Amino acid sequence: MPEDFSLADDLLRQLMSVGEVDLLVGLSAQTPGSTIGHAVEAIEQSVRQYFVRDRVVIVNVSDGVKGEAGASEADNGNQAAKSVRSPGITSLRTIHRVSADFSNPPSAGIALRTILSAADLLRARACAVVSPATFNITPESIANLLQPIYREKFDFAAPLYTRHKFQGLLARNLLYPMSRAVFGWGIRELYSDEWGFSGRLATFCLNQNVWNEEAIHARPEAWMAISAMSSDYRCCQAFLGEKSQAAKGAGTDIVEALRQTVGTLFWCLETQPGLWLEIDKPREVPTFGPAHDLTLEPSELDRHRIFEMFRSGVTELEPVLHSILAPETHAEIKNMVSLEEGKFRYRTDVWVRTLYDFAASYHHAVIHRNHLIQALAPLYRGMTHSFLVEHADSSPAEMEAANEMLCNEFELQKPYLRERWKTKVEVKS
Amino acid sequence: MALQRDNRWYKDAVIYQLHVRTFSDSNADGIGDFAGLTQRLDYLQELGITAIWLLPFYPSPLRDDGYDIADYTSVHASYGSLEDFKTFLTAAHSRGIRVIIEMVMNHTSDQHPWFKEARSSRENPKRDWYVWSETDTKYQGVPIVFVDTESSNWAWDATSKAYYWHRFFSHQPDLNFDNPAVFEAMWEVMKFWLEMGVDGFRLDAVAFLVEREGTLCENLPETHAIIRELRKRLEISYPGTLLLAEANQWPADVRAYFGDGDEFQAAFHFPLMPRMFMAVKLEDRKPIIEILDQTPEIPDSCQWFIFLRNHDELTLEMVTDVERDYMYDEYAMDKTMRINRGIRRRLAPMMNNDRRRIELLNGLLMSMPGTPIVYYGDEIGMGDNIYLGDRNGVRTPMQWSGRLNAGFSWADPERLYAPVISNAVYGYQAVNVEAQERSDHSLLRWMKSLIQVRNAFRVFSRGTIQFLSPSNHRVLAYVREYNGETVLVVNNLSSTAQAVDLDVQRYKGYVPIEMFGRNLFPRFGGGPYVLTLGPYQFYWFQLRRL
Repeated sequence: MPEDFSLADDLLRQLMSVGEVDLLVGLSAQTPGSTIGHAVEAIEQSVRQYFVRDRVVIVNVSDGVKGEAGASEADNGNQAAKSVRSPGITSLRTIHRVSADFSNPPSAGIALRTILSAADLLRARACAVVSPATFNITPESIANLLQPIYREKFDFAAPLYTRHKFQGLLARNLLYPMSRAVFGWGIRELYSDEWGFSGRLATFCLNQNVWNEEAIHARPEAWMAISAMSSDYRCCQAFLGEKSQAAKGAGTDIVEALRQTVGTLFWCLETQPGLWLEIDKPREVPTFGPAHDLTLEPSELDRHRIFEMFRSGVTELEPVLHSILAPETHAEIKNMVSLEEGKFRYRTDVWVRTLYDFAASYHHAVIHRNHLIQALAPLYRGMTHSFLVEHADSSPAEMEAANEMLCNEFELQKPYLRERWKTKVEVKS
Repeated sequence: MALQRDNRWYKDAVIYQLHVRTFSDSNADGIGDFAGLTQRLDYLQELGITAIWLLPFYPSPLRDDGYDIADYTSVHASYGSLEDFKTFLTAAHSRGIRVIIEMVMNHTSDQHPWFKEARSSRENPKRDWYVWSETDTKYQGVPIVFVDTESSNWAWDATSKAYYWHRFFSHQPDLNFDNPAVFEAMWEVMKFWLEMGVDGFRLDAVAFLVEREGTLCENLPETHAIIRELRKRLEISYPGTLLLAEANQWPADVRAYFGDGDEFQAAFHFPLMPRMFMAVKLEDRKPIIEILDQTPEIPDSCQWFIFLRNHDELTLEMVTDVERDYMYDEYAMDKTMRINRGIRRRLAPMMNNDRRRIELLNGLLMSMPGTPIVYYGDEIGMGDNIYLGDRNGVRTPMQWSGRLNAGFSWADPERLYAPVISNAVYGYQAVNVEAQERSDHSLLRWMKSLIQVRNAFRVFSRGTIQFLSPSNHRVLAYVREYNGETVLVVNNLSSTAQAVDLDVQRYKGYVPIEMFGRNLFPRFGGGPYVLTLGPYQFYWFQLRRL
């Protein structure tokens, strides 16, 4: 562990008082001012219903909300804690709550590192991280995350949600199929605000020399998932239910979202090539609950605006794309840009090659990596436009079939990625 | 050492519970008796206990361990004679030890002359001493206590061709307290023993004395009226006589039996006991704090009686289903160890013979608010025999020495009322009084010093309790205060060493004196007081301004 990180004395004191635990739930709210009261209530309810005998600690690494989670359930005089108790249901043990005090909201990386440190110190057997700001936490969903780790001995549990069919497009069209093809594990929600992990995975991740990497700061969970997959930890998916309204509206800044997610994905490819280059067939990921659940509300997205942003972005970034994309891919895209909106379709084979070109160029550092990720934004918009058009009336089954085809395309073209990864394409200026 | 004249003696008592049958056999018939018990009184005096609670010793067919009484004013022949009892009573009193006996008011044996007369004909004057009915449909919905053996609270009497009411076994007909003659008869019985000098009664099954249609026939106002009348008479004629309620209920429900200080002076705190066991297993103070938080205040003259183990199963009636399952899984994995809704094991085996845990639990027992009861044999860590059936596994002969029959009896071993424990760990050759008296560090010696310290400070028996809330939940800490005496008790409930910060700001400047060694610890400053405790270790500190 690098020397520049240490747990605050106050937190350390709190952890000392807790001692060894079976379960640890970390609360990581990245939204300043978000409240965690309902989350704490749901976690405690979950403990009473599903883990009544077990030693549990809730670690709050949200900023400025110590009062809500900084005392243990059974403390004398803690009326707030008592008031959330349901009649007739009680845990046998004290449900401990500790709070890490941060003057400013900690980055996701710092928050996770704090939670992992607590898990390691307390020798937690199963852990979960949840974000009260983006998720309707229920006692069942907490249990769904923890049970596979605690009872079934998995090391990593990625979440699955009920999704609106046009929600989570970045995951559906890029992150899931690409990571599945590359790393060989079909984890649908590689980037999420909720996930579960074992104590031994926590210790493993904590001891990796990555914590000062920029890619870890914003979205460390994907790195953790990929670390778990690549190091032969047992991975699974667990169905949690619906994302909150806040989450549905989130992620409008696509450039930032790409930087946080695709940036980390590419960084993982870059830092762990030995783990994926030779993998051909994806492995089945055990899933607890339904593998996917789509609702069919119509899209509220403005397709025409998305198309215009695609066209103008590609035109503006022509020289940049020229340096990133293989000539054939670039030519296909230029051809697509010239089409009228009604005739435009971003073919899946081109989309896959686009991403593989970007990944290889990230590896070869053909331009500054931040700029490279930024340049993906208009292309992603083009893909999104095509997706909205194609699936305006699709049923969940049709969408699932299409997604499976996309995944197959990524897998089919993986040799292309390998080739591009190994050989830098010289672009003629 | 004569008895102290104090009508509230029960508040300061340390009680030793025993069955005369189990303790010492003087006539080599294989059954303990009063003469044998009398011979062992020096042992009990040295142990430091101040009262003996005797299980039923009345003539009885013994179909319910003596709670089926066939004669209220005599002694079962196996245990000796009335004269033997009187000798025992006098000898106990001369050692400063009081005697509490059982009084089963709710029912008699069907072999009691009262019942024999009552069933002999419908016209018999004793007929109305019991509860009869032409049908078995009265008092529908009243729970059956012994569901394993009884299917109804009514039993058919073929002689008088009617049903009689029984809340317990069908051979234990309930007395009819709506008939004033019954109450007067019971009062005469009590006077009989009081005149002899007994110091108190444990009233068995008090909740069930009266029946009323449309109720559960439990805890009825008429029952409380009977208790109040009894207490009034005792206060007038025999002041200082203890009335101890056996009511296996939640403290809030038992509270009614204290009345305004005009009913029982004492009642068992049943729910605390399993929670002490639970807290040690869970390594968390929560169960104890929770139940004491739910325990209502009682009148100043009254007292809770607390215990770890007794002659019955470790009852799990007063716990939730989740808690009961946990207790079973942790303390009675072998289903043979379970009976009714409880666990038929002794303290030491339940603690896996871990001396530290046995000491911790006894430390809790002696420092919690209430009058502690030590079950015979637990002071030396006796084991049990779960294969003896019913609760007999915790009622085996007292282990006095490594000699024949554990020094309990000179009878042939086959003649003993029950076999002595003889396994390698808990057998009488490994665990006995004689051996432990020879060792300075035996459990028995330790128990004596524990009781000695307890007896030396009234704060334990009469003081208030205030829990501290250190962030370490493996540590249970509380302050007891009484008339200027202050004691701080700190218990590590866990199997590993613990550090704890205690908020003792209120006692800034006080010096804690460890009460067993009388060693001074560093004075309390203004900030948190840091203590470290080894596994299952506990401290009792007297806090003094020095």
